[in-house]
Amino acid sequence: MTDSNDLELVELFQKGNETSFNELVRRYQEKVYWIARRFVNDHDHADDIVQEVFVKVYSALKLFRGESGFYTWLYRVTVNIALNVLRKQRIRDFIRIDEFFETADDVNDQPDAIFEKDEQQKLIEEAISKLPEKQKAVFILRYHEELSYEEIALILKTSVGGLKANYFHAAKKIGEYVSRAHRTY
Amino acid sequence: MHTEHIKYDLMDYITNRLSEQERIRVEQHLRKCSDCNNQYIELLATDIALKKNHDKVPTSIYYSTILPRVRERLGSHQQSIWHYGYGAAKIVLPIAVSVFLAVFLIRMPKESLSEAEQTEKLHQAVKDLNEDEVVQAVEREYAGLSLSPNQEVAAVGVAEHLQSGRFLKSAISKQIENEEVADMDIEAMISDLDGEQVDQVLSGLSERNIL
Ligand SMILES: [Zn+2]
Repeated sequence: MTDSNDLELVELFQKGNETSFNELVRRYQEKVYWIARRFVNDHDHADDIVQEVFVKVYSALKLFRGESGFYTWLYRVTVNIALNVLRKQRIRDFIRIDEFFETADDVNDQPDAIFEKDEQQKLIEEAISKLPEKQKAVFILRYHEELSYEEIALILKTSVGGLKANYFHAAKKIGEYVSRAHRTY
Repeated sequence: MHTEHIKYDLMDYITNRLSEQERIRVEQHLRKCSDCNNQYIELLATDIALKKNHDKVPTSIYYSTILPRVRERLGSHQQSIWHYGYGAAKIVLPIAVSVFLAVFLIRMPKESLSEAEQTEKLHQAVKDLNEDEVVQAVEREYAGLSLSPNQEVAAVGVAEHLQSGRFLKSAISKQIENEEVADMDIEAMISDLDGEQVDQVLSGLSERNIL
């Protein structure tokens, strides 16, 4: 099973083999976790996203036709859910419907003690969180996940042209944000 | 080679992700261009700052809990639609409708349709929809899959279903895999938007005094 490629596992799963889903989760859980974590900068929220991604993947996998590779599709689901968490947060902040949701709490709220961060790290996370969505996604997928521009284009459903520029502007803004903050301290 | 192109390669140069040929091209350019050199120094500092970041890594025990919890959620989603109670859904659904309509309106081609005409078009579009199409569209949209033109129309139908309460009923009968029906509605609606469009939706909502 471990040697099967992703699409073989997907096919097995579609034929009713439940174990192949487990294998796909084990194979990608760490990647999915880190992509999520880069977006929300918080372990608990990243964990929520990981759960949501695999629950969604379980049902959506029946519709998956393998047009793109499995992991580009999986990462796309992850990026979409992570961006949705951030967007929902913005909409919630705006319309304040938090009181209707027991689980509602701020992304970027107090980190738990095990994941304590220093000032510099907070600054960098702040800089990344202020990037426009596309630059943020390109930066995370290129800098942290080390994906190729072709893979990033597939994940973000966009063309390759312009991604390098997105990456450059993202890195430049992060640098400017951090050095501006250092000057004002 | 134009400076723009070199500039855009600098991060990949710093992080060692260029081919030999590209690397040489960047180095040759850096020797003669002070502008790119300044960019290079700035980005180098950024890369160093980023690398100094030591992310606290979860233990392997954490990873071993993921699958059991996913399995648990997969086994228990049937009752989850009532998680927040019908009362909360009733309050939140009108907000969901508003968000949906705002999203729908900014997605429409701008060509000279008045708001009344747009609303009329929306009503037309959803008249003959069946619930299966609607449910499928929401599921696909939610899963980040692209929608066929038919499903786009079906997605529009969600607003109608929301308003009439039909959607809530069909969601229950179809047992869509979600925990927070109202929350998911908003999520499905905004999943294709970029940050700028979210801004538009928010300002659209406040202009209409919906909130
Ligand atoms: Zn230059």
